[in-house]
Amino acid sequence: MKRILKLNVNGEDLEILVEGHKTLLEVLREDLGLTGTKRGCDLGTCGACTVLVDGRPWLSCLTLAVAVEKKKITTIEGLAQNGKLHPLQNAFIEKGAIQCGFCTPGMILTAKAFLEENPHPSEEEVKRAISGNLCRCTGYVKIVEAILSASGRESRGE
Amino acid sequence: MIPTFEYKVPRTLTEACDLLWQYGDRAKVIAGGTDLVISLRNGLIKPELLIDITHLPELRRIEERNDSVSIGGSVTHSEIVSSLIVQTYGRILSEASSQVGSPQIRNLGTLGGNIVNASPAADTVPPLMVLEAKAKILSKEGEKEIPVSSLFRGPYQSALQPHEILVSISFKKLGQDMKGSLIRLARREGMAISRMSIAVILQKKGDLIEDIRISIGAVTPIPNRMKEAESLLKHQRYDTDLLKMASEKVSSEMILQTGIRASTPYKKPVVEALVERAIRRAFGDTQ
Repeated sequence: MKRILKLNVNGEDLEILVEGHKTLLEVLREDLGLTGTKRGCDLGTCGACTVLVDGRPWLSCLTLAVAVEKKKITTIEGLAQNGKLHPLQNAFIEKGAIQCGFCTPGMILTAKAFLEENPHPSEEEVKRAISGNLCRCTGYVKIVEAILSASGRESRGE
Repeated sequence: MIPTFEYKVPRTLTEACDLLWQYGDRAKVIAGGTDLVISLRNGLIKPELLIDITHLPELRRIEERNDSVSIGGSVTHSEIVSSLIVQTYGRILSEASSQVGSPQIRNLGTLGGNIVNASPAADTVPPLMVLEAKAKILSKEGEKEIPVSSLFRGPYQSALQPHEILVSISFKKLGQDMKGSLIRLARREGMAISRMSIAVILQKKGDLIEDIRISIGAVTPIPNRMKEAESLLKHQRYDTDLLKMASEKVSSEMILQTGIRASTPYKKPVVEALVERAIRRAFGDTQ
């Protein structure tokens, strides 16, 4: 049974006709073509499907799309502004924190929400913050480096 | 692909209770969805209707009363962790919520869901057992308040009726002389299901154990208090030999409930060691 969903994705108000039982992950990828959000385990364990809902890291594979109507959803596609990458995206590129890239969107969004709450974290705090995002290439060292290097960049105006 | 269902978002508790009364076991209540969506996808449940309870104000609050604290059923673990009220008067619960899954799971998962899902490994349950928490249950038949401990029928089987809603959980504020201690054993600290957990609340008076409450999680089918160990320790002088005897009472109780399993040679000494450690910490014995 299809229904009209009102979603706000990356700052845009959308009304879309979708099957009412779809997950947010399915709607983002299949109906909106936002394939930056990845389907990993589909069980809430790997964090590859992480998006931000009202600014908080959210598992889109465990969220029914109807449950987030009228909330602000941010996907990796919504991070760059006016063609300029987000400081975290730049940091991931500079530090070589991307191997296969599958965990990267979720990793960056989790890190974004975390740095907004804690702009100057310790290495240990970064590791805890990304404990729900698995990297199967095990490139954690560079990911942690990238997040640490991005921390405080915004306040420095970089 | 998840099979189709109707989805309703009641704005009042009365509306929610009416829907549950009308649909009974053809409806399911959804809050965080971290367990429910997986069951939907696996076809383990096929509800006609999902009732989203995350917009009911009564279920979303953390309230401080005169001598108690009340937490709404759809308050998330992240919200519990950042609540000063819970940190001040029920720190052992804050600690438990901070250990659930991952940051993402804590943003979605709720206290009510953790209880009603009735997993033997539910992180918040042993702390709620030693806090002697009560659950406020509402249905069209009326309201009742029952101990959280009576909400479990078996592994993943809640005693909540299909037409009932878990509105809130409350517990008495812990006094200054009552210290909690929680130990959780899992493969890793983050994103791992608990294999064993020990929750202790201890009231100390000089070198006496004035009162003690012990509960263990993940190693018994349903949560319960370790009454024999508690009565052995209560009103006694703190003593390491006594601690050892009490921890053996806990391991015997565990084996009584589960029988001897392949994992018992590991679990028995480990549960004993962790019970001793948890009591030592709650007593403030840093030796």
